[in-house]
Amino acid sequence: MSSHLKSVTFAAALCVVCSVLLTAASTGLKTYQQRNILVDRQKNILIALGLIKEGQDIQEGEIQSLYKRHVQSLWVDRDGRIEPADAPLENRLPLYVQVDQQGRIQAYVVPINTRGLWGAIHGYLALENDGATIRGFTVYKHSETPGLGGEIESRWFRKNFEHKRIVDADGDFVSIRVAKGSVKDVVPQAQRPNYVDGISGATMTGRFLSAGLKEILHDYEPLAIEFRQKQGRYLRVQ
Amino acid sequence: MVKLLKTNSYKAISEALWQSNPISKQILGICSALAVTVQLKTALVMSLALTFVVACSNLVIALLRRHIPRNIRIIVEVAVIATLVIIADEFLKAFMYDISKQLSVFVGLIITNCIVMGRAETFAMGNPATRSFVDGLANGIGYGSILCGVAFFRELLGAGKLFGFQVVPQSFYDAGYQNMGLMLLAPGAFIMIGLFVWLEYTLLKDK
Repeated sequence: MSSHLKSVTFAAALCVVCSVLLTAASTGLKTYQQRNILVDRQKNILIALGLIKEGQDIQEGEIQSLYKRHVQSLWVDRDGRIEPADAPLENRLPLYVQVDQQGRIQAYVVPINTRGLWGAIHGYLALENDGATIRGFTVYKHSETPGLGGEIESRWFRKNFEHKRIVDADGDFVSIRVAKGSVKDVVPQAQRPNYVDGISGATMTGRFLSAGLKEILHDYEPLAIEFRQKQGRYLRVQ
Repeated sequence: MVKLLKTNSYKAISEALWQSNPISKQILGICSALAVTVQLKTALVMSLALTFVVACSNLVIALLRRHIPRNIRIIVEVAVIATLVIIADEFLKAFMYDISKQLSVFVGLIITNCIVMGRAETFAMGNPATRSFVDGLANGIGYGSILCGVAFFRELLGAGKLFGFQVVPQSFYDAGYQNMGLMLLAPGAFIMIGLFVWLEYTLLKDK
């Protein structure tokens, strides 16, 4: 066999063997990996709602039972009407709600899937049942630069979202935005509840995140208006 | 016991741990040594992953060494190493998900880690399979020992914890002791590694 043919044959054989091994590993482990991803999402929803403290050492079984006890997954249509999970609709948006034992909604969680600088940003934004105040924010997947845009997943950045508001003093929807710099330096007093501190060196990520949050929250506005109008008379889940 | 000390395998391991430690003597594989040593737990998992990769890649390449065509040997080495790293990554994502998220890209970066390629090219290509496997193990252990050593001090001094468990008692904090925040950042890692390198040079020189 000429040396060129030998090289090509060897390379081809190596490719086949490596492909088989990788495919076997990937498909064989898929169920475990997907379960981990599901539990991680549930954990993030619970953290956004404040039902788990971050960094708390918690077992998978406990996460699943906490989730089952407090959270329900629903669909909302474009007009803000809540539909149960098995209602088939084209224009429906996913929603997670925290319910108490009487089925009253105490908070709701909006899945955030938006464009970032280097890839998609995935997280959850939890809002109180007044439709205006943010309870928590988590980021569970992104492709931003570690240390710069990657800080969106660190605790200090996300903690700033707590108690901020998505409406202004007149009650109009303005969404929540990432400021360029520190809020108390660049934002006028009246608008501070609608801004969080920016990350230095990550202006673009902040901009993408702000734009994404605004677009998504705009879709959920009809629902938020329902919550604002109820004013303490809780919405219920059937 | 003395016979055990004279075997080739023991000599290989002790050499990789001491005289030619990959990090402190050969100064290879530094980037992951900086990034994952903030906590002892992640450093340990990273060390085990790298040891697995370098030992297995050495074994495979040594078994194939007479058949690998010279002109594509580097590519073949990279392909073998990459396959092993991806398999290791898949296992981590399946069974140690939280840690794999903390290690994020650094498991994938084992492919580019100079230690793995270096041992494959300089040792496995010219030595029999078992000896190559032991050499891979030895280098992995050498790397792991430095990684865990650095992580031990960084976590202890930077957070007062080991493996996540609080070690520095509350009474110290009440008396005014504060965690050394620098240890949690990259400059602290640089300094720690530098101290380890210096320590080893000093101790080896005295021999």
